[in-house]
Amino acid sequence: MRILRALLLSLLLVPFPAVAYDVLVLQSLHEKGYDEAVRGLKRSCQASMRTLVLSDYLEADVVRIVREEGPRLVVAVGDRALAVAQRLRDRPVLYMMALNAKPARELSTGVGMLHEPHRYLSVFDGLGVKRVGVVYDPARSGGYVKRAQQLARRLGIDLVVREVHSAKETPAMLESLRGKVDAVWMLPDLTAVSPASTEAYFLFAQGERVPVVTFAEVYLSLGGAVALGIDRFDIGRQLGEMAQSVLSGTSVEELPTQAPRRALFKANDGVLRRLKLSLSGAAP
Amino acid sequence: MKPLRRLIPYSKSFRFRIHLMFTGVVALLTAIFASFYVLSDAQSYRSSLEREGKLLAANLAQNARLPLFAEHQETLFSLAAETARYPSVWEVSIVASDGRVMGEAGKRGSTGEGLVELKVPVTSPGPVLSPESLLLGNSAADGERVIGRVTLQLDTSGARRRLARMVEASLAIGTLFWIVVSLLSYQVLKRVTSSFNLLMGGIDEIGSGKLSARVDLDGDDELGRAANAINAMAASLELRELENVALQEELLNAMKLEVQDEKKRVMARLIHTNKMTSLGLLLSSMAHEINNPNASIRFSGHMIAKIWHDAIPILDGYQREEGEFYLGGIAYGTARAALTENAAKVVENSERIAKVVQGLRDYGVGDLSGLRRELKLNGAVSSALSILACQTRHDVLLKTSLADDLPAVHGSQHQIEQVLMNLILNAMQALPGGKGEVSVTTRHEPEAGQVVAEVKDSGVGIAPDTMSRLFEPFYSTKLERGGSGLGLYISQYIVKEHGGSLLLSSRPGFGTLAQVVLPVAQ
Repeated sequence: MRILRALLLSLLLVPFPAVAYDVLVLQSLHEKGYDEAVRGLKRSCQASMRTLVLSDYLEADVVRIVREEGPRLVVAVGDRALAVAQRLRDRPVLYMMALNAKPARELSTGVGMLHEPHRYLSVFDGLGVKRVGVVYDPARSGGYVKRAQQLARRLGIDLVVREVHSAKETPAMLESLRGKVDAVWMLPDLTAVSPASTEAYFLFAQGERVPVVTFAEVYLSLGGAVALGIDRFDIGRQLGEMAQSVLSGTSVEELPTQAPRRALFKANDGVLRRLKLSLSGAAP
Repeated sequence: MKPLRRLIPYSKSFRFRIHLMFTGVVALLTAIFASFYVLSDAQSYRSSLEREGKLLAANLAQNARLPLFAEHQETLFSLAAETARYPSVWEVSIVASDGRVMGEAGKRGSTGEGLVELKVPVTSPGPVLSPESLLLGNSAADGERVIGRVTLQLDTSGARRRLARMVEASLAIGTLFWIVVSLLSYQVLKRVTSSFNLLMGGIDEIGSGKLSARVDLDGDDELGRAANAINAMAASLELRELENVALQEELLNAMKLEVQDEKKRVMARLIHTNKMTSLGLLLSSMAHEINNPNASIRFSGHMIAKIWHDAIPILDGYQREEGEFYLGGIAYGTARAALTENAAKVVENSERIAKVVQGLRDYGVGDLSGLRRELKLNGAVSSALSILACQTRHDVLLKTSLADDLPAVHGSQHQIEQVLMNLILNAMQALPGGKGEVSVTTRHEPEAGQVVAEVKDSGVGIAPDTMSRLFEPFYSTKLERGGSGLGLYISQYIVKEHGGSLLLSSRPGFGTLAQVVLPVAQ
């Protein structure tokens, strides 16, 4: 007994080294999509990680944590986490699942949530439509639409764009497209697409008998023709590979922001059949 | 009043009552069904109206969803006006969630009645999420966001007009139905109840007394069986009626016979009364006719006795002087005693005749004053025997056996003597050839409180057919020998008047026993 007691005491008296890890994962909140992405991250990145869910704290002092714990890399999952991570000046930040990400510093890069425009344009091309209506908020999706227009032009597709600055303008803008487009491209633009205005897209498409190509599978049930969804797990893996690369010594500046490399393609065969369209070779 | 009076005979008719009940029930059921139908239809119409209104409101809310979100008032007014064109819609308004009226339309210029207001919220689509949520993989939410409200005012005056039309139509159709059913039911009832009428006709005919009538109804149903039963009953009644008639006839005949017998009895009583009246008159006449010579005989007897009494000393002196001499061929000594005795007997018998006559007169006039006296039966027997002593023939053996200390009875000594004399004379006359034995006995029967005097003879007896008529007046088997037919009749009367009874018993060839039973004097 004495021996056991002495052993325990000696173990307590021995100083442990400070807890050290390579990656601090800042997650905005407990969200299914975030969790999936983090799982993908952990799958492809073998570095030691600590996950901090911001919604668990009233106000987490991330700067102090980073200073004290010294992770080599910070991964921000979600817009809020990215906003918090932006405050860190001396640590590289990788982000994912941040729809409104506008990296404001040099030491940050990540995987966006929007597929490259060519993926959508190839779908339109596969559908054989030439005039595609797009409603967007220039403040949110202006760059993306500009890139898309350039690419479309090369593919011979005319993007008929309408700018909105408020969600209430969407129905009217869609009405303005009546008779001018062969398809509608629904962007994940928070201004152009809101719960209240979503219906306007499909009513318009139904009235005009044109397909709606959208970014989420759920819209297929409302009348969408094709959905190009994102694979959150794969985004996590994609970012994990970037993290692994950064931890290996690659500079963040050398890693450009990437679009999701994998698209989940879904089509509503009923709508396509009714619209007498086919997707032969349209899958990206 | 007149139609009511005209209906009264029908009200007693089975057919009329059934028809009345049936038509009443049909009318009631028709009214109930029509009311139910009208109310149900009105309710249904109202429900349908409300459903239509809700549908219109829901449709408008659905259509107004985007214009309301986009606050596109022109479209909202257009939608409201389009909805307001429906006849049942009175007013339409589309209001945003902050209360601003974004569109409205209605039937201006007319007054709405019975308005029903329907409010339907305008919501954004439930399953739609924001693009961010969708990209994060969130599932669709159930909740809907209310962005406004559609208010519909429905005009229900159409429902009232429809209700009025339905009531009118139902009344018309119900009345027509009732009339048709009533007529058809009357025809059916007429056919069905014809058997009843036949049955009732037969019953009435039988009930009126014509038992030979029959119910002419065939069939093996209830009515047929009832008709058969009634026919059987009528046949039975007819048979009983015939039997009754026969019995009545028999009864009538029996009554006639009874009346005839009664008539005979009355006649006999009349004849008897007549006879008695005649007898009374006869007795009164005889009394009068007898009393006169009898008074003369008694007077003559007294005179003879008196004269003889006066003559006896003279004749006694003559005898003493002249010796025995004869008067009327009889020696004076014998004649002296005989004349004295005979003179006394002449007076005594004359007085007896007078008493008999007086008795007859008393019988004729009903005088019973003599009954109050007490008499000794043995004395009466002795007196009767002494009276009859001269008439008693030597061939007749007269025996007397009189009881000692016989108690007295109330009555007339003379009348009881007369009874006993009649009985003793009858007994002596019944002896064949005037030879035989007559015994007179008296006895006391203390336990019965009566005394009895018996006269028994050893005569020829009385034939049975004669026995029943012995006490009839003027009936006699000895009319040719001077019998009057009144002896036993009067004797019985006297004994009855004394509260007693006169009994006769006889066997032909063995003599007759006559008993006079008298109650002892109290």
